[in-house]
Amino acid sequence: MITSPNLGFWQRSVGFVPLAWRSLLANKPRLLRSSGGIGFAVLLMLMQLGFERAFFNASLEVIRLLDGDIFLQRASKYRFATRDPFPGRDLEAARVVPGVASAWPLYASWHEIFWRNPADGKDFLVRVFAFDPDHPVLSLPQLDANLKDLSDLDTAIVDRRARRFLGMDPPPPAAELNGNKIKIIGSFALGPDFENDGTMVIGDRTFAKLLPNPRGGAPDVELGVIKSNPGSDPVTVQRAITAAVPTEIAVLTKGQLLELERRFQAEVSSAGPIFAMGTLVGFVVGMLISYQVIYTDLADQQPQYATMKAIGYRTRYLVQVVLEQAALSALAGWVPACLVSILLFRVVGQLALIPLQMTAELALVSLVLTLSMCLISAVLAVRRVITADPAEVF
Amino acid sequence: MRFALAWRILTYDKGRTALAVVGVFMAILLVFVQLGFFIAVPQGGMLLYDRTRFDLLIASTGYEYQVQPGEFPLSQLDKARTAPEVALAAPLYFGSAKWRSGEDGKAPDVFVIGLDPQDRIFTSEDINRQLAVLDRADTALVDRMTRPMFGPLTTDRVVEIAGDKVKIGGDYVLGTGFMGLGVILVSAQNFVRLFPYRKLRQVNLGLIQLKPGVDPDRAAASLRQLLGGDIQIFTRPELEAHETSYWTTRTSVGLLFGSGLIVSFIVGVMVVYQILATQVSRQLPQFATLKAVGYGDRFLSGTVITMALLIVLAGFFPALVAALGIYEVIREETLLPVEMSGPRIAVVFAATLAMAAASALLSMSSLRRADPADLFS
Repeated sequence: MITSPNLGFWQRSVGFVPLAWRSLLANKPRLLRSSGGIGFAVLLMLMQLGFERAFFNASLEVIRLLDGDIFLQRASKYRFATRDPFPGRDLEAARVVPGVASAWPLYASWHEIFWRNPADGKDFLVRVFAFDPDHPVLSLPQLDANLKDLSDLDTAIVDRRARRFLGMDPPPPAAELNGNKIKIIGSFALGPDFENDGTMVIGDRTFAKLLPNPRGGAPDVELGVIKSNPGSDPVTVQRAITAAVPTEIAVLTKGQLLELERRFQAEVSSAGPIFAMGTLVGFVVGMLISYQVIYTDLADQQPQYATMKAIGYRTRYLVQVVLEQAALSALAGWVPACLVSILLFRVVGQLALIPLQMTAELALVSLVLTLSMCLISAVLAVRRVITADPAEVF
Repeated sequence: MRFALAWRILTYDKGRTALAVVGVFMAILLVFVQLGFFIAVPQGGMLLYDRTRFDLLIASTGYEYQVQPGEFPLSQLDKARTAPEVALAAPLYFGSAKWRSGEDGKAPDVFVIGLDPQDRIFTSEDINRQLAVLDRADTALVDRMTRPMFGPLTTDRVVEIAGDKVKIGGDYVLGTGFMGLGVILVSAQNFVRLFPYRKLRQVNLGLIQLKPGVDPDRAAASLRQLLGGDIQIFTRPELEAHETSYWTTRTSVGLLFGSGLIVSFIVGVMVVYQILATQVSRQLPQFATLKAVGYGDRFLSGTVITMALLIVLAGFFPALVAALGIYEVIREETLLPVEMSGPRIAVVFAATLAMAAASALLSMSSLRRADPADLFS
């Protein structure tokens, strides 16, 4: 048997909403117009915010993929994407520190290795990461290869999402790196960022062959990737490692490594202010549009408001109805804008190969911005209701 | 009459019209700014070329863009020098090295340009005059636009670059563009000392200055014949087209600012449409009356179009002035030559007119509802 729900609560609490709801729906073409206007302003804000996040995320993506919780790098390294390696013995010193479960090297090159596209014979700089295939330190997204096969000399896996002119999608059977013939044994899907067009992963032996250490021996380590023992306090381990390695080596948590990169990007690039300005314009324009919409609504419905006042409704209640209506029109603009931007992000993200994504955070930020722009304009417009004089209605 | 009516309607409700103008102003300003960046980015890549004197650029066939130029033999430049059209063939060497004297013990990468100090290749005489300093061993001139993280750039400061001690011999202003966070000039001899694996006989770029009166296109053709197919030769317009297409098609710049451009345009249309549609529906009885006394639909839509035009024009000119200010700020911050050129103004102006037309078109549907018969119902 179905029990009838207790509607009392709903009727009481929703009791006043239908008024705002109804006056919103009273004029459908106007609703369409206003949600279109507000929606486009929201879309502009969403795009600018989305681009800004994509810009920063693209450069942080690889750091997030590092499979460790403490990292060693040269203290002079000012950003992730620059080659400034340190001798492998410093990593070995860290490996024996109590609390350290594993410590393995990541080798990297950003500006030294050229990939020859086998399709057209053209050379392009690529970002190259290397590690011991038995101890991979990078979790490669959508990996379609057996990492163990990288222990064979002159093998590589490539990025299917690299910029198309590199010719990595689909992965060719073979190619050249700095003039060395390389067998391609698989691929992953990472994507370029604003400086690197494509990425390759090779084994440590192949790396040593491509970029031999000028002092001989194993190549220097770009980043030491350390996992601490489960149950040990990471801060204590970090402190113990810091004491065990020379002062030229910085010992960082993943959060600190990400923060270093984020600070560098914010300081050096003008992406932040550029996109902030676009967002601000979206906000102001949205405010103008919603003010316009709400003001017109109020003007049209002034007799109704005055009548309600005459039959005893308080100004407070009427103001509340206006604010509710503003919030509803905010939602009426925000929902379609969000849906359109999901689609737009997908299309632009695919075309530009940048990590444009609608996240819960982005949706929330844009919702707050939309609500506040509509509510601010409602507050500005509401004077009309307050001054509604029942005597003047007829 | 159409104008008079449109003007009356707009000035009747001044506050609302002011709002519309502000909205359009913001939208047009955003169009200007997005367009500015769209053009500024490739120009950032042209910075060094724009400020050096040459008629033709010789580069390797692997030339990608300024910072990734590839290498070709110096002997090609020696050969070019023998051509009767050529006045100067100057080699340029590019390299990137660790500047180990940064703030907080950091070692930022510095972009090093190696050149022959005898070749006065820069448009700025201030730089050319200082080039003589570079003949001293391990001395560099540093671009003043180099980022603060490199530490003080005072003359006579000794810094460590790629393991060598290098003395700052002076500074100049050219701009770092996309060459890097910091740029220094050194002589070719000092360049190979900094980069021991580099050889003087392999150069990155060759700048060719032609004798007065020589046609660059014809000289390029005859040099191509003389030097063979292992290198490529760009005239200045070809070079600019190449760099612009690199930045707009190879990188995300085109899509990023291109889509911003489109959305700001649509937002502009929405603002004007919003205002027009409201005004039309508010004045509907008046419009219907006009219809009843014999004015045709064409007159009424003409009035709406005039209103749209008045609003966007009122927004356009302040936006132009504000954009000039913003371009000035970008220029100072980045040293990019972001200039308000005639064609750019024309393009945005055309977009503005399109904005007016689109919004007027959208609000016509409200106008059609103006039915004299409804007037007294």
